[in-house]
Amino acid sequence: MISVSHLTKLYGTFRAVDDLSFTVGAGEVVGLIGPNGAGKTSTLRSIVGIQAPSAGTITIGGRDIVKEPVEAKRQLAFMADEPQLFEYLTVMEHLRLTGRIYQVRDLEPKAAALIKELELGGKEKSLPSELSRGMKQKVAIACGLVHDPAALLFDEPLTGLDPLGIRHMKETIVSRGRAGAAVIVSSHLLHLVEEICTRVVIINRGTKVADGTVAELLAQAQMAGSNLEEVFLKVTAHES
Amino acid sequence: MFGTFLYLTVCGGRNRLRVRLRRLREPRYLIGFVVGAAYMYFAFFARAFHSSSARRPGGVPTPLAALARFGAMVPFVASVMLFGFAVIAWLWPGSRRPIEFTRSEVQFLFPAPLTRRQLLHYKLLRSQLALVFGSAIATLVLRPATLASSWTVLVGLWIVLIAIRLYSMGVSLTRASLGQAGAGRLVRRWLPIAIVIGAVAALGVTAGRDWARLSALSGPGDVADDLRRMWSVGIAGAILWPFAVLARLPLAASPSEFLGALPGAIAILALSYAWVLQADASFEEASADRAEKVAASKIAPRTAAARVMPTPFSLAATGRAELAIMWKNLISVGRFVSVRTLIRLLVIVFAVVSASRSGSRNGGLASLLATLCAVLIGMIVLIGAQMVRNDLRQDLARLTILKTWPIRGATLMRGELAAPAAILTAVVWLLIVAELTLIPYFSGQPGSIFGVVLDRLSYGAAAIMLAPALILVQLVVTNGIAVMFPAWIAIGSSRARGIDAMGQRLLMMAGLLVSLVLALLPAALVAGIVGFSIYWTTQIIPVVLPAAVAAAVVIAECWVAIELLGRVLDRTDVNSVEATE
Repeated sequence: MISVSHLTKLYGTFRAVDDLSFTVGAGEVVGLIGPNGAGKTSTLRSIVGIQAPSAGTITIGGRDIVKEPVEAKRQLAFMADEPQLFEYLTVMEHLRLTGRIYQVRDLEPKAAALIKELELGGKEKSLPSELSRGMKQKVAIACGLVHDPAALLFDEPLTGLDPLGIRHMKETIVSRGRAGAAVIVSSHLLHLVEEICTRVVIINRGTKVADGTVAELLAQAQMAGSNLEEVFLKVTAHES
Repeated sequence: MFGTFLYLTVCGGRNRLRVRLRRLREPRYLIGFVVGAAYMYFAFFARAFHSSSARRPGGVPTPLAALARFGAMVPFVASVMLFGFAVIAWLWPGSRRPIEFTRSEVQFLFPAPLTRRQLLHYKLLRSQLALVFGSAIATLVLRPATLASSWTVLVGLWIVLIAIRLYSMGVSLTRASLGQAGAGRLVRRWLPIAIVIGAVAALGVTAGRDWARLSALSGPGDVADDLRRMWSVGIAGAILWPFAVLARLPLAASPSEFLGALPGAIAILALSYAWVLQADASFEEASADRAEKVAASKIAPRTAAARVMPTPFSLAATGRAELAIMWKNLISVGRFVSVRTLIRLLVIVFAVVSASRSGSRNGGLASLLATLCAVLIGMIVLIGAQMVRNDLRQDLARLTILKTWPIRGATLMRGELAAPAAILTAVVWLLIVAELTLIPYFSGQPGSIFGVVLDRLSYGAAAIMLAPALILVQLVVTNGIAVMFPAWIAIGSSRARGIDAMGQRLLMMAGLLVSLVLALLPAALVAGIVGFSIYWTTQIIPVVLPAAVAAAVVIAECWVAIELLGRVLDRTDVNSVEATE
């Protein structure tokens, strides 16, 4: 569903992402992890078409994000770490706007289900200024899910959520994966990645340094019985 | 601790300068700097260096020399203005602000082991660079004739600005202190305001005693001269004395006059300083809240004012995306402008127009209103697009979201432009109708009623057709500049600073004017050909058809421009927008 092939992103002469390739199939939940400045955000932004790759190709459901951006983006949802809402639209109006942009025909029942699932009930007519940060995050996620995207990208999805919200968010991500969506989760919370991801891609200094299931990574690193955190520290320390 | 604050201030200033110098490596900032520097040179320095003309007979005097011609009147007016500022600081609701700290200052300095007095010293120290810079710019504008008078103006202005700064801090702290007071809180809170009102009343009573003579004087100059005479003695003189002492400093005619006024000014500064330090008020919480609000306003400038209201129309689940974006932007306007207020305004305008129709035949109020309508129409058509920023310029702050939407850049642009275009057009159309209604009631032109009505309808129809095209072309140009040079425009309420930013703004304005001329030339040409052809064949000067043709050409140009700009928007990197200061 998501294919990243030889992606390179340059900022001037700085190489933020360097010849990165990986794929995410339908039903897979892939954790994209790496130290600060590793190139995770640049990778995510390139995948969702926010910024153009300097080299390489990215396809979503077979559609090139550069050559066919509209068709590719129609299948995508990106949940940024910092929810950016329109300060003058209510929660329900955010969903209506998103529904129209993505041409969602049966919006009302879907919106109602999402509001219930994300515990936004009673907040439909609230403006973002009346919501907590966690609530804003939920609104952004509801907007991302309302068009049933085939590919989902979460950037630090647990930021600002309370323990119950964290549990529900994890359930949402896993259930979307089980429903057949291709999911990428970028996070520094390695226990979250270990818990919900079916595969992990570790990048460091813009290049891929490990790719596989947690069990495969442990085996590759010859750290059987250890955990993802140990592997991550070993791999990124070795590379840097 | 003073050394620490000095270190923080110097390092901050030095690094800011370094950043601004470093960014000159980028052509967009370098070009902006060159243009800004050239403007500064020609606007201030070139005149200052060539101010000898002021001393030549018949030469254009410098602003300071021109002020000097009014003699003692200038210090008097300046002292009254300073008094006015002092009064407003207490009475004007908008001036009730706590002492401003940035978010980083709140995070680093408030939890630090510093006393309130030390924090106040820091704020005073921190503000000095801006005060000196402001004084220097004002000195350049005033262009003193000699080096000695340049110094007295510079130092005098600086002292006045320090006094204003200290006074503002004192008012802010005293307010906070009175707000925290326990017993007798109400009395104590209103005491300073009562004193201020008393001072104003004293000046008013002094002037009121000679009201008959004042009202009989011929011009404002004579009135001001008489007021100066009355307010320089007695209680009024005592009230205005501190302000007069301060005002005399930058306007001193000679160094000796400056030195004569200096002890009094320093005494006022010392008293203000003592007042600030003795006000034992906890300002931290209010200042921290203020820092958060200021920071938030740079991202979402109007969040606090937003309120939930009905949407302009219900949005269908499917259809053109442009309509959804227009719907969103119309909601934004509705949330900040009350429809009820607009209706009330409209009722009042129509009532006044109706009254003028019945009460005036050959001018008077109708003439005034018609002129007002014409001015408003001109203003909205010519600068409305720059003022109403409820379009892509506002939403560029959310480009991260917009870029994930599955729509073409051109679609996004059309949607973003639709709301401001519709709003401005609706307002202009209303004004045109009002104008058409008012014109015959003061024009008094001869001829048949039929001819007048037909003329009015023709010009009205032409104006109604041209207005949306002119508004749209400006919206396209201003938003087009935002798309082409995203790092050059102000997003939200943030404004880039520095000579390079000023130069960028000047270039943008020039670019806007050139683009407008280029966009309107083909329309004018085609409309001219059509109009001339009709006149050639019928001997009638046409108005409506050429206007319709011109509007159609402009709208077609806008459509093509939006398509092209949409492609640029599709390629726009979010980082190019986020890179703004």
